[in-house]
Formats: sequence, C-alpha cells, structure tokens
Amino acid sequence: MNTNKNSTLGASQISSKRLSILAKNWALFFLLILILIFSFTGKRFFHLANFQNILHLSTTYLLLSASETFVIITGGIDLSVGFVMGLSSVLAATMMQQMHAVNFPPALSISIGSIVTLIICIIPGLLSGILITRYKVPPFIATLGMGGITSGLTLIMCGGFPVTFLPPYLTEMGNGYMIYILPGKAVSFFNRPEGIVGGELKELVRIIPFSFIFIFIVLIILWHILKNTKFGQHTYAIGGNMDAAVRAGINTNRHLIIIYVLSSFLAGLAGVFNVFQTGVGNFTPFTAMYELLAIAGVIIGGASLMGGKGGIFGSVIGVILIGVIENGLHLSGVDPFYRFIAVGLVLITAVVIDQSFPDLL
Amino acid sequence: MRKSLLWITILIISISLVAVFSLASCKAEEVAEEEEVAEEEEVAEEEEVAEEEFTMLFVPGIADPFYFTMEKGIQAKADELNINLIVSEYPESWGPEAQVPILEAAAAVGGIDLILTAPTSTDALIAPLKKLYDQGITIITVDTYLGDGDYSVESDYSFPLSYIGTDNKLGGQEVARHLAEMLDETGNVYVMNTNPDTSSVVDRGEGFTEGIAEFPNMTLIGMDYCLDVQQEAQNLTTAALQKDPDIVGIFGVNLFSAQGAYQAVVNAGLTGAVKIASWDATQDLINALKEGKVDLVLAQKPAEIGALGVEWGYKYLKNGEEVPKKVIPGFEFFTADNVDDPDMQQFIYSK
Amino acid sequence: MRNTTIEKNGIHGFFLQLGNKWAVIFLLLEVVIFSIVSPGFFSLNGIQVLLINSPFILLLGLAEIFVIITGGIDLSVGFVMGFASVVSAKLIAIFVELGMNDLFSIIIGIVITLGIGIIPGFVNGILIGRLKVPPFIATFSMLGITHGVSELLIEGSYAKDVPALAGKIGNGSLISIVPGRTVSFFISPLVQRGERLIGIFPNVFVIPLIIIAIFAFILKRTKFGKHTYAIGGNIDAAIRAGINVKTHLTKIYMLSSLFATIAGILYMLRFVTGKADAGVMFLLDAIVAVVIGGASLYGGVGTVWKTLIGCFIILVLENGLRMFGVPTFYKLVVVGVILVFAVLVDQFFPELIHKED
Repeated sequence: MNTNKNSTLGASQISSKRLSILAKNWALFFLLILILIFSFTGKRFFHLANFQNILHLSTTYLLLSASETFVIITGGIDLSVGFVMGLSSVLAATMMQQMHAVNFPPALSISIGSIVTLIICIIPGLLSGILITRYKVPPFIATLGMGGITSGLTLIMCGGFPVTFLPPYLTEMGNGYMIYILPGKAVSFFNRPEGIVGGELKELVRIIPFSFIFIFIVLIILWHILKNTKFGQHTYAIGGNMDAAVRAGINTNRHLIIIYVLSSFLAGLAGVFNVFQTGVGNFTPFTAMYELLAIAGVIIGGASLMGGKGGIFGSVIGVILIGVIENGLHLSGVDPFYRFIAVGLVLITAVVIDQSFPDLL
Repeated sequence: MRKSLLWITILIISISLVAVFSLASCKAEEVAEEEEVAEEEEVAEEEEVAEEEFTMLFVPGIADPFYFTMEKGIQAKADELNINLIVSEYPESWGPEAQVPILEAAAAVGGIDLILTAPTSTDALIAPLKKLYDQGITIITVDTYLGDGDYSVESDYSFPLSYIGTDNKLGGQEVARHLAEMLDETGNVYVMNTNPDTSSVVDRGEGFTEGIAEFPNMTLIGMDYCLDVQQEAQNLTTAALQKDPDIVGIFGVNLFSAQGAYQAVVNAGLTGAVKIASWDATQDLINALKEGKVDLVLAQKPAEIGALGVEWGYKYLKNGEEVPKKVIPGFEFFTADNVDDPDMQQFIYSK
Repeated sequence: MRNTTIEKNGIHGFFLQLGNKWAVIFLLLEVVIFSIVSPGFFSLNGIQVLLINSPFILLLGLAEIFVIITGGIDLSVGFVMGFASVVSAKLIAIFVELGMNDLFSIIIGIVITLGIGIIPGFVNGILIGRLKVPPFIATFSMLGITHGVSELLIEGSYAKDVPALAGKIGNGSLISIVPGRTVSFFISPLVQRGERLIGIFPNVFVIPLIIIAIFAFILKRTKFGKHTYAIGGNIDAAIRAGINVKTHLTKIYMLSSLFATIAGILYMLRFVTGKADAGVMFLLDAIVAVVIGGASLYGGVGTVWKTLIGCFIILVLENGLRMFGVPTFYKLVVVGVILVFAVLVDQFFPELIHKED
C-alpha cells in the first residue's frame, strides 16, 4: 500500500515537474510554435530577410522593455519611457543638426550629440526616482507626470516638425549590415556593394545588421548585471519584499533612484538609436503607446507587476513574440486589427499561467 | 461646525465672483454688439471706407507642416487686408473629438465673422459648423470638405461659402502617371493612405487608382491606412514589402504616410529598387528627394489655399460678392531634376 | 463613517482645512483667471461649449473612480467607448436601412449597445475577480481586444450613415430658446440665419449629470458603495466580513464598461459617426482627474464629487487654453505638474483624507 502511494506520488511529481518546465518557458515554446505555423501560412515569412527585419525593427522595443524589466522587478512601473525616447530623439537630432550646420565633421557631431543626449536623459529618471522614493509618489503617477512634462518639452523643442538636415552616414550606420552578398557576383563587408541597381538590389542578401550587434552587447551587459551582480540581486530583493530588503541593510531609496535613472537612460539610448535608424529626430505622439507595449513584452516574458520576478531573457522573448505575431499575421494576409486582439489574448494567457504556477522562479 | 462655515464662505465668494464676471462679460458682449452694429451702418453709408476690421478664425486639421505653412499664408494675407486673425490651438490628432472642442472654444470667444477650417471628418463636423453658421458666422472649408464637397446643390452640408483645396483626385491621377513613367509603365505598386473618413486623402487614393488603371502592365496590389501616424505607416510598409517583394512603387498620400513609407524602404535596404512618390513637400521629404530616398514629391500650395480663403472671405464679407463654390489652386511636382531649382524653393513647407 | 480629523485650532487648522479643499479652490481660481483673461469664457455660450464637450471625461472619470476605489484600474474604457460608438452607429444604420423609423432605430440601437457594451466589463471582472489577473494587465488586454473587434466591424474605415436625427439630439440642448419666438426641448428649433438661439444645458451634458448624481448616491449611501470601499481598503478584511468579493468586482468592472459605453453612445449622437479610437484621448485625462480629485491608486479612498472637481479642473484648463489658442504642449506640462502636486498634497496632509465626504 505504502509503496503504491509513494510511486503514485513520484509519478505525479515527475509529470508536474515537466508541466512546470513547460509553463515556465511557455512563451518560448509558444514563439517556436508560432514561427512554425507562420512559416506555412505567411508569404515569405521563413526568410532570412524577414527574421532579420523583425529583430531590426524590434530594437527600440527591446531597449524599452529592458528598461521596464528593471523597474517592474522592483515592483514599480515607468510610464515615461516612450516620451523620454522622443525627447532623446529630438534632442540628439537637434544637436547633430546644429553642429553639422556650423561644419563640424560628422564623426564629431554625431558622437557629441549622442553622448550629451544620453547624459541629459538621466534627468527625467532622476526626478521620477526622487519623487517616488523621497516623496512617496506612486510610480504610476510620478512617471506619468514626468512623461507628460517631457513630452511637452520635446514639442517645444521641435515645434511639431521632425528634425532634419542631419550629418551624413547616420542611416548607413543605423541600417548597415556586416555582410552583403550578391549571389554569384559580389561580396562586401559593412557597406552595400557598389554599382548595384534596380532589380538586382532585390537579390542582395544581407547578413547580421549592425543593430543586432549593438542590441546584443547592450542586452548581454544588462543580463549580466541583473543575474550575476549584487545590484541585480538587490533589485529582486526589493521587488520581492521591500521591508525585508530594508532590514537586510539595502539602501532601497538609493537603489530605486538608480533603477529609474537606468530606465530613463535606456529610453534615451532607444531614442538615439532611433535617430540612427531613421535619419531624423521624431517626437513621440500619444497614440504610439510605446510604454504599454514594452510592459506587455516584459509581462509576457514572465515578470509580475508585483515585482520580484522576471528577467532580461524573458523580456526579450516577450518582445520578439509580439513582433513575430504582428509580422506573421500581416504576412499571412490577416487584417492587422487581429493583432490587437492577439496581443491582448497572449498577455492574459501569460498572467493566467503565471498565477497557476506560482513557484516558478 | 467650522467646516460648514468655511464651505458657506467659499460658496458665497465664488457665487459673487461668478455673478460679477458673467455680468461683466454680458455687458462686454452687448457693448461689442452695439459697436459692431454702428460700424456696419457706417459701412453701408460710405463707398470708400478707411481700413476696416473683420475677424477671422483659422482652425487647422492637425499639427503638421502643411497646416503650419497654410497659417503663414493666411497670416500674410490677413495682414495685407488688415483683418484680425485668430488662430486656434492645433489638434494633436486627426478627428472630431480633438477638433470640435477646439473649434467651439475658439469661436466662443466671440466677435468672429468668418471661420477657415479643415474639417477632420466629412460627417461629424456638419452639425457643429452648422450651429456656428446659424449664429451668423461665414464658413469656408480649406483642404478638406463636408459631405461630398459639392456646396452648389442644396443639402445638409451646402451652407459653407466655398471649398478651397487642391484637386486631390487630379493630383492622384498625375502622381500615378509620373510614377508610371519612372517605372517604365510596368510593375506592382502600393498605396499608404491615412484616414478613410477624410475627403482629401480618399480622393487622392481614388485618383491614383484610376491613374494606374490606365497602364495595363501595372497593378495596384494594396492600400493600407495608417491613421496619420508615421510609425504605423512605417510598420505597414515594411510588412507590405516583405509580403510582396515585387513592389516597385509606393505612393504615400500625405507627409506622415510618405515619411513612414520611405523610411521603411530605407530600412529594408531597397532604396533605388523601390520608387517612392510623396504627396506634400516637407523639408524632410525634400531632403529625402535630394538623397535619392524619395523619387517624386507633389507640393500642394497650402499658403496659397489659405490666402485664397482669406481673400474670398474678405470679398464676401465686405462687398457681398458672389464666391465660387469651389476654388482649386494647382500643385507642383518636385523631382531629382528640379529640386534645387531656386524658383521651386517657395513651394517647400516650412515653419 | 468619517475618519476623525485631528482637530487643530486657529489659523493652523484653517490652513489644514484649506489644504484639504485645495482642489476646489484651484478650480475656482482657474475659472476666475480665465474669466478675466478670456472675454467669452464666462458667457452663456462659453459655458455651453465647456459643458457640451464634457461628457466623455465625466463618464470615463466616473468609471475610473469606482474601479480605482477597489484598488484596481481600467485601461480599457477608452476603447470600450470607441467600441460602443461603432456598435451603436452600425446598428442604427442597419435598422434605418431595413426601413425602420429613425427615432425607433436610434432608441433600439442604443438599448442593444448598452447590453453589448457591458461584455468587456464582464470579461474584465472575471479575469480580475476570479482568475486573479492584475487589473493593469487584464484591462490592457481588453483594450487591445476591443480595439481589434471595433476595427473589424468597421473594416478599417469608420461607422457612418447615421440619421441626422441622432445629430440633432447630440448637439441639442435641454431647453432651446429663440428670443421672442419659440421655446423647444431636446432638439434645436430651426432658425433663420442670424437669429439668436440660446441653448441651455446640452443634452449630452444632462445625461452624465443625472448618472453621476445617481451613482454618487449609490457609492456613498448604499451597501454596494460601502462594500466597494471595503474591498479597496483591505481585501482580506472584506472577505472575512462576508462580502462576496469576486462577484462585487465583476459588477464594478461591468459598471465601468457601462459608463464607457454610454460615453461612446453620446459620441455617436454628437458626431453621427463611430470610430474605434474615439475614446483614446480621454483615458489618461480621466485617470488624472480621479487622482487630482484625491483618490489613491492603492484603493479605499476617493469620492465621486471630488472626481467631478478633478474632471472640471482639467476641462476648464483645456477649454480656457483653447480659447486662448495656446499650444498643446503647455497643457501637457501643466497637467503633469498638477498631477504630481495633487499626490504630494495628499502625502503631506494624510490626516485630511476622508473616506467619504
């Protein structure tokens, strides 16, 4: 009798363990299944150019999700990232434009513009952090208010126009690939092969966009910080139980301020990258909902709004999942409106699964 | 106890303030009306009148370079004719829920003789504008129109004085022809449109479709709506390019569509392989034309449209002249050949 | 059940009282300043303009205050409003095409829409109440789903062919007077051009007003209201007290969707069209209004009356700036500052927060 019970227990333990692993990584499995399905239903979905495109265009969202990851793990939220990105885009572009107009060499105007912007983008995060820690303003409100103010300042700066007349080489850096192959004819590195025109361009194969290398480096660094450093551990601790963290001697106020500064910095990075990718400085219109999509990516990736869970890898999967859904649906000829429904459903699924298997991390 | 006392005090103060100010503004309104009546009587008596003041209100469609440029044209003409010009707030997004509150608030200031506006919906703006018309204000629609744009036939929406705007359909057809020429009259083309409930862009799309139909070796393989959001235009174009790699030409029906579309093409590395035609000549698009990222740019004449609106409005208000129900200024095409032409520079939209 | 205020005497007490009422005072200041600065602001016409453009933020604010008191939030109300505008417009157009009388089409279309519009709220309630999905996520997903469904219904275009009668109701006033000639109710009389038409109380303002009055009463005096505060205050205590939290939350979110649906119907009446994104620009305003009105995002605190003040602070600000032609970005900055200020005041005067007022 006893042995039977034990073995029954053993069996169910094993199967529930398998189930847990499945549930824990459901987003990843779901992503793979979707890729499979879309390969059949989507026109030219399973294509090197398409996959690279998905990644290339997700770069901004990946940066924003990374910033939200840190914030959400601490149990907070940052609704200003989209607007800080707009500010950074306009600010960087304006600086580059001004310097270019007085004949600074492009290398100088681009680098100075980018670096100064990144430094300035720390400020919104600093202010949010202070409001949240010292004045106990709920993160929702503090970052929303900061976002509005940032948005207003951005509009004042650009007057509603995109910022143009930027130094050359920007888009080449933003959209360049490592290797270009024209099958049977030419191979080149870093730059498009010379003299190709018209129809031949369509046959050009491009491999490894620069953006990919850039985002990979950034994400690896962030992943390492979150997983392997004391800073990362403190972040989880604060999210898990704020009081316990304080009692453990962690300077939560200072830590949280750093978190929001980091979030704001990454949003700034996203904005600067945006200038490289598009070649102009653009403000963020309200309808864009960048922050909500970034947060969705993080949640799908396994984080909880309560804090204490989640990670960079999960957020990346979440963002890519959303990107694949949009891309796959469009290529399959489905009305783009289904994408809204799809993302909503996926998000709910994420949370329900999260609830059903609470002890995953 | 103390609390209720405080409340009562506040209530009394506020009511008296309210009373004072409503009386004051009522008086102001009455005085203004009397003055206006007196002025009008003077005008009727005299032929040659010294500088006269009308007040016009400009309510644009959305905050974008096209309307900024139109405002400049309006302001210049208004200064010339000594007209008092009020410019309302610029709507953040395209639609009646954004434009109507602005329209009504700006008009409520009082003393407006004529409103120049670009209705952001062919249906929704009819009732609010009619209400203002019934108060005695003259309405001229610029760039977009109400209903089907024909104000000469009696209908719910025939009350505006005139519609002044580019012939969007003709423009769409011309773009199609020019683009076809650049593409040797073969291939697949795609249209990035904005809002399906806006007269101007709908006409452009239809015109383009008709134009392409003239070329048997060309096919229009799709039209998407980005709702006047540039990022959306970029996303939709990217997907379209991936789905149909044999797209050789794209028409962006306004500046946001065109800017998003060409950036999508740049991102995909297809600059040169896909030709882009853009409606509206912002600095960004002209630059792109110079850099070869865009191949054809149609410049409307927003400043001229605005100025015409002021001019015809003035003629009507002052002399009761008969105003044509439709006034159609022309448009210009920019290509890589004439983009640096000094005569053409005036047509670029600027702050 | 009032929280006892720490009674302070004299001037200090007076200022504390003042601090508590800062929202009302701010609103009055706004009205005074704009009246001085903009001639038409405090005129009959000016007030009508303010009121006729108020229903959306008022109704969405009402929706949010109920939800926020329970400690939750509803991000879907903007798109539920759009959904309702699309559904009602489409239904009415279909009925009219089938030959039904205009008025009946409108009435029946509205009634059916009210029924359909509750569904998103019902789903939210189930997700949040029973499946324990955090409100932020659940309502954000619903936002996406209603958006998608709305767009599908209109196929990327917009809903039209609504009979003009709807527009007359939507743009009409409770009482319309043509001096010396006629008085009419609900629908504006035909006027000769140039005749003065005085409209008092736009129809689309009266309806939210009545609803707000009813539900303010419900929140304050009925068991339903008390349970709502209880859940927001301490959910475990509420359960132990025997309140069926799951059902109550479902009802709350259904209520929220109902208000958003009514807002959508009013949109359709005013603009004789339906658009999926009709309500997008009002969501944030509604949440800001609720917070300015003293509610706490953690729940348990806030009243309908204060939310109303918050709504009007924003409405008056927007309207006043519009009459001035002030560019939008200044409004953003101002609202952001007010928002932060509102929360700070609540922090510094915690003893002034009353559960009910």
